[in-house]
Amino acid sequence: MDFDFSDDQASLRDAVRKWVDKGYTFERRRGTVKAGGFSREAYGEIAELGLCGLYVPEAHDGLGMGPVEGMVVMEELGRGIVLEPFAQTLIASAVLGGYAPAAVQAAWLPKIASGEALVVLAHTERKARYRLDMCEAKATQASAGYALTASKSVVPAGDAADAFIVPARIGDKIALFLVERTAAGVTTRGYGTQDGGRAAELTCANSPATLLTTEGLTALEHAVDVGIAALCAEAVGVMDKTLDVTVEYLNTRKQFGVAIATFQALRHRVADMKMQLELARSMSYYASLKLNAPTEERRRALARAKYQLGQSMRFVGQQAVQLHGGIGVTDEYIVSHYFKKLTQLEMTLGDSLHHLGEVSARMQDTAGVFA
Amino acid sequence: MDLAFTPEEQAFREEIRAWVRSHLPADISQKVFNAQRLGRDDMQRWAKILGKKGWLGWGWPKEFGGPGWNAVQKHLFEEECALAGSPRVVPFGPVMVAPVIMAFGNAEQQQRFLPGIASGEVWWSQGYSEPGSGSDLASVKCKAERRGDKYIVNGQKTWTTLGQYGEWIFCLVRTSNEGKPQTGISFLLIDMKSPGVSVRPIVLMDGEPEVNEVWFDNVEVPAHNLIGEENKGWTYAKHLLSHERTNIADVNRAKRELERLKRIAKAEGVYDDQRFRDEVAKLEVDVVALEMLVLRVLSAEKSGKQSLDIAGLLKIRGSEIQQRYTELMMLAAGPSSLPFIYEAMEAGWQGDHVGPAHCAPLAANYFNMRKTTIYGGSNEVQRNIVSQVVLG
Repeated sequence: MDFDFSDDQASLRDAVRKWVDKGYTFERRRGTVKAGGFSREAYGEIAELGLCGLYVPEAHDGLGMGPVEGMVVMEELGRGIVLEPFAQTLIASAVLGGYAPAAVQAAWLPKIASGEALVVLAHTERKARYRLDMCEAKATQASAGYALTASKSVVPAGDAADAFIVPARIGDKIALFLVERTAAGVTTRGYGTQDGGRAAELTCANSPATLLTTEGLTALEHAVDVGIAALCAEAVGVMDKTLDVTVEYLNTRKQFGVAIATFQALRHRVADMKMQLELARSMSYYASLKLNAPTEERRRALARAKYQLGQSMRFVGQQAVQLHGGIGVTDEYIVSHYFKKLTQLEMTLGDSLHHLGEVSARMQDTAGVFA
Repeated sequence: MDLAFTPEEQAFREEIRAWVRSHLPADISQKVFNAQRLGRDDMQRWAKILGKKGWLGWGWPKEFGGPGWNAVQKHLFEEECALAGSPRVVPFGPVMVAPVIMAFGNAEQQQRFLPGIASGEVWWSQGYSEPGSGSDLASVKCKAERRGDKYIVNGQKTWTTLGQYGEWIFCLVRTSNEGKPQTGISFLLIDMKSPGVSVRPIVLMDGEPEVNEVWFDNVEVPAHNLIGEENKGWTYAKHLLSHERTNIADVNRAKRELERLKRIAKAEGVYDDQRFRDEVAKLEVDVVALEMLVLRVLSAEKSGKQSLDIAGLLKIRGSEIQQRYTELMMLAAGPSSLPFIYEAMEAGWQGDHVGPAHCAPLAANYFNMRKTTIYGGSNEVQRNIVSQVVLG
């Protein structure tokens, strides 16, 4: 039982933080939002830092690192509310590395590690909301491989990605496929999202697809759990910065002739925000450290973590806006952007009610971190 | 970073578990598991068993006869005790006054007082709060005047937990009115059998005389019972508060009680009611998050690499959770928790229960737990402390 970061992990954190502070300014981000919500150039800079190969095995030109390193990077990207969906790269690396045939790994993992290929998970269907076992997309055996017909919704950076990991049914069983964006029958309709980022509706009509695994649901659940751990860490970074910004404002803003940080009603709200942040950070650690646990234990842990993070994000975000007063609801000032990011993170990969349902269904007689 | 305890820590846990399970009297753990009334004898019997093993002062360093465990080992010991159904060790002797005597008492005081605390023979009480000094503890008025080799103590202490059993009491007394209120306080050990000491139990809303008022009427206390220097008592008291930071969250007991909540909910037929079950699920997440927070603090203490100044958070969250599980147990029992039959909370009562026996103490437990967000520095005071750290 040890929650210290190693020296290497600390250096990794410093490197990412330096890039976020110097290379990913609020002004640059604002420009990207205006231009559609995704910058391939910025993603390329993340790749240049070597981060895209974080979960890619060394045999495929990656770093072969684990969940704690992923968590460290996501926290720092969260502090800068970075728009480019780096969590997707962690998900894609984990799915391909864990489930894809050797040839597919050899073809794609080095490109993911170098940043040449952006591969994203396209699993959401409109009727399924957050459920993973509901899937209307279908795949049929074709002369060379499979042909896939699907409508997937809110796919991260959907019209900028190079390929998609898509769940579809073969008969009544869910399998996972890789579909390239340039493949026949693939269309994307891109749009901006509430956090300033970018997503797309993805349609595949008899599109050529490469089978990754017939154990699709198992792999998809794993993929989503990798994503949840990443989003939890990202959320911790976002909240950390949100609290910093709020504290600075309270100590600067004067009303009735004094800094508003002197008012006890506001001070207690800050204490409650700190509480939510630290509970969230604790559960983010828990999520990442349980990522390699046996399936049932992992699913239970990740649902618990996402529920806590959802509660914390909503509280910290809402209170940060409230404590800022009028300036908090403007587009011009930074805090509303943090709030919107927190809102979107809560609603990605299962919102709080969804995960409360998961926790509730998975409860055992015993309780605690190790139960 | 690693969630798992080391093999050495696991082995330590197994050793503690085996010992506790074979030495904890079953009649006592039965009471604990069913929240039945614990008497002085129950508490002291367990304390003496621990004392004989040398574990009543489980947080003590070796030089004072303790086991010399690190933060993680202490936590594992507390957890195994809680999960086995041990009563909480009455903390005033081994956890509260002993570290002060070790740090600031002289050799003679250490030899005189520590053995009786370590063995569980001597029952200690705490004399801090006064009718006019709650959150504002530094305003204590209970006066000690030096006359030759004695202090003459006059005044009143209150909320003295289990003081009706107390043999000795450690008190914050006013020895000077000069300067700031904090600088005129001394730390005095008083024999409660001294002439002029009187104790009156206060019955709390659950019907139990859990706390007491203690009066001092011209009580003579030998000057060699003064800890450290006169007027430095506030510093010593703060040292005491800095001890056992994670213990106050009481997450181990919360884990045990969450299991009990599930048993009660099943027995009362509400565990499959989705509305109720979701409330249990929320509490389960709260308990896991608190446990992670505690483990982070322990890890930081063990390695000394990072400092986590979040003791205030532990107290706030731990106390809220204690209140919540008693609240949910009472709600699970529904109407069966409403009859108030004082004797029904006694183990082995042969009278007619209204509803299942496990429902009898639930409302009383709920009422009793309202204290947790008030004592030990109210949660509002804790929020002041947390916000001071965050806002400066």
